[in-house]
Amino acid sequence: MPHSAQSIIDLSDQLRRDLGGGFRDRMVTAVYEHAQELVSRSVHETGAKKWDFDQRIDRLLTSRWLGLPLMLLLLGLVFWVTIQAANVPSQMLANAFFAFESAAAGMFESLGAPWWLTGLVWHGVFRGLAWVVSVMLPPMAVFFPAFTILEDLGYLPRVAFNLDWLFRKAGAHGKQALTMAMGFGCNAAGITSTRIIDSPRERLIAILTNNFVPCNGRFPTLIMLAVIFVAAAFPPALASIIAASAVVTVVLLGIGFTLLVSWALSRTVLAGEASAFTLELPPYRRPSVLRILYTSLIDRTIFVLGRAMLTAAPAGAVIWILANVQAGGQSLAAHAIELLGPTGEAIGLDGVILLAYIIAIPANEIVVPTMLMCYLGASMMMDVAAYDQIQAVLVDQHGWTMLTAVNLMLFSLLHNPCATTILTIWKETRSVKWTALGGLMPLAIAFAVCFLSAQAGRLLL
Amino acid sequence: MITVGLLLGLALGAVALAAPRFGLVSLWWKFRANRERARSEDALKHILAWQHRSKLASLESLAGALRLSAPATLRLATRMEQSGWVRSKSEGIALTRSGEQRALQVVRAHRLWERHLSDDANMPMARLHQAAENAEHTLTRDEVERLDAHLGHPQHDPHGDPIPGADGRLASIDAVSLTEWPVGKPALIAHIEDEPDPVFQQVLAAGLRPAQVIQVLETGPERLVVSVEGSECRIDPAVAANVQVSVASAADLPPPDAVRLSNLPQGACGEVVELGPACVGFSRRRLLDLGLTPGARVEVALETAFGDPRAFRIRGTTVALRGQQAEQIWVRPLAEPSATEVGS
Repeated sequence: MPHSAQSIIDLSDQLRRDLGGGFRDRMVTAVYEHAQELVSRSVHETGAKKWDFDQRIDRLLTSRWLGLPLMLLLLGLVFWVTIQAANVPSQMLANAFFAFESAAAGMFESLGAPWWLTGLVWHGVFRGLAWVVSVMLPPMAVFFPAFTILEDLGYLPRVAFNLDWLFRKAGAHGKQALTMAMGFGCNAAGITSTRIIDSPRERLIAILTNNFVPCNGRFPTLIMLAVIFVAAAFPPALASIIAASAVVTVVLLGIGFTLLVSWALSRTVLAGEASAFTLELPPYRRPSVLRILYTSLIDRTIFVLGRAMLTAAPAGAVIWILANVQAGGQSLAAHAIELLGPTGEAIGLDGVILLAYIIAIPANEIVVPTMLMCYLGASMMMDVAAYDQIQAVLVDQHGWTMLTAVNLMLFSLLHNPCATTILTIWKETRSVKWTALGGLMPLAIAFAVCFLSAQAGRLLL
Repeated sequence: MITVGLLLGLALGAVALAAPRFGLVSLWWKFRANRERARSEDALKHILAWQHRSKLASLESLAGALRLSAPATLRLATRMEQSGWVRSKSEGIALTRSGEQRALQVVRAHRLWERHLSDDANMPMARLHQAAENAEHTLTRDEVERLDAHLGHPQHDPHGDPIPGADGRLASIDAVSLTEWPVGKPALIAHIEDEPDPVFQQVLAAGLRPAQVIQVLETGPERLVVSVEGSECRIDPAVAANVQVSVASAADLPPPDAVRLSNLPQGACGEVVELGPACVGFSRRRLLDLGLTPGARVEVALETAFGDPRAFRIRGTTVALRGQQAEQIWVRPLAEPSATEVGS
């Protein structure tokens, strides 16, 4: 009978109104009481030693005076290990790839392939791939496992716990510290990981600011600049430590911008108060080696490297075409550099660097190689065997100063996210508006900050 | 060559104008239709609000509320009459049955959206109303129902107004204005009227929130003195008239021998008494799911450099909470932190 069905629905609606909000409380309480009863019947405890030990470590890692310094120390250690361990394998990979390239190009020529085919395939596409693999793979193969160890131990939630007061002041979520940490590996991965933040407003803040921590693709640039401009002024024994501290400084600056922009966003377009923050601090666990190797090498390294290679191949082709197609007596690359020159000068960089950034929109990893290729006037991305050669090229032949290096570090830290990251923002927000903001806001900030720093630098020096 | 270019330009222009979804004509049409919808829905809400005060709206009141010219208001009223939503009477404009249903659905969308912004986005109370004013016209019926289910079928919006049901039923609130409340008797804030905005902002600035228990200490034509959570505040009677209160039952008062978890010192133990009434929606569910149910044992385990957040030991797990959350939890302090954990 339809009448009685309707009356039952009415009754249930009525009852639901009368229940008020309290019934949910009572339900959860009843479930917990039942669980408690089951536990007390079947689980027998003999002591709480594990918990005592964990608590002692926790007291140290989150303590008033040591918590933050220990965190910085661990971060610095991870970078130092990465810088130290990645240098030699990078060099070896580069040499191997470039030897293979010239052999393969020689074979093409002997088979009678046209010059542009050899150039495009081997000196363009292959060289782009070779650069990305040799520059990215070794640091990632060291950084990701080191980071996964910290993650597996259960240290990252403690970082979020330590930093929460800062994020709360910025109107953001405490778990943003975690997604930010993921961004060191890859901003796209960091943006995907913001799914752990329940509040939509704070999740958007985390998505839009993730770009301000340098990802793996940008670390090589930062490391190179730190080594040849900052660390060069110190004795060689200290150089790697100085370089690591310079990178840590840049990272801290990035965290500062993350907080500043979060604060500004949560007072303007994403107005709101910091929402509920509940974070479980899991017990410390012994990291499992197999799992670390799997998650860091398969899930992260191969995944990130794979997508970098996908974007580097066409970028390599574009660079080769730009450098080899002539119009009006000079190459397209030379035209572009002339066009971008004044803008670059205004922000303390130059046309070459800006062109490199435009070509590197798909993947930031190829900024340095592109830049060097343009400077040297070579028709392809070149390989430079050692950092002191790079320094000679930049300082002696192209008038780089400390200001250029500092501004490039700032620009590299702040500029627009790479294409994959922008695509990920769109996938996660499904909104053209937020995607545009996520791409253009960092770019505007990078230009503003570099312009100010260039003007200030020129006034003072 | 020029002809080809011209033709191409013309073709592109024609597409930009007449494209079915993103063409300028269709966008303009959509914009017009949306504005039309928003206006008539605002008019329905206005008439409904007057009916709840047992008055009939007039063309003048409508023109004032919607900031429209007299001819535009007349056109709007005629269209609404043709749609069968209103009936003009000699005393004013009355809603028909279908018009009232429609108005209640708009109110429902508005209040649910406010609830959503408050619970899910934690938007400050002062900004909720304006944001919901825009959203109420764009939500479809289906979206509203999904929002309702997502929020757990809330009964009240963040100001304390009842949310109409999907069937258009509206619970009445049994409350009187704060200006009529006797001195000394504990009062529960049932509802804070969010219009007009400047008055609402003053109520919020005085620290008054829905579900709070307050006491009127002094009343007079110039000002009211009210005690809110131990501190005193003065408000104008005109402002106080926008605050509706009802009788505070024992359940609304803070438990007698309990303290807020945020006030429990480092290393101390307590037993959860209840979650405060201001803790609603998602954050309440979250705290309950973590095991902060009445009777659960809590120990203050860790403190960060600036004292907030702190980590608590609950049912064998360590959970970090911000002070803002911890102050919603009332606990009864336990004298001796026992060596063995309960429930782990």
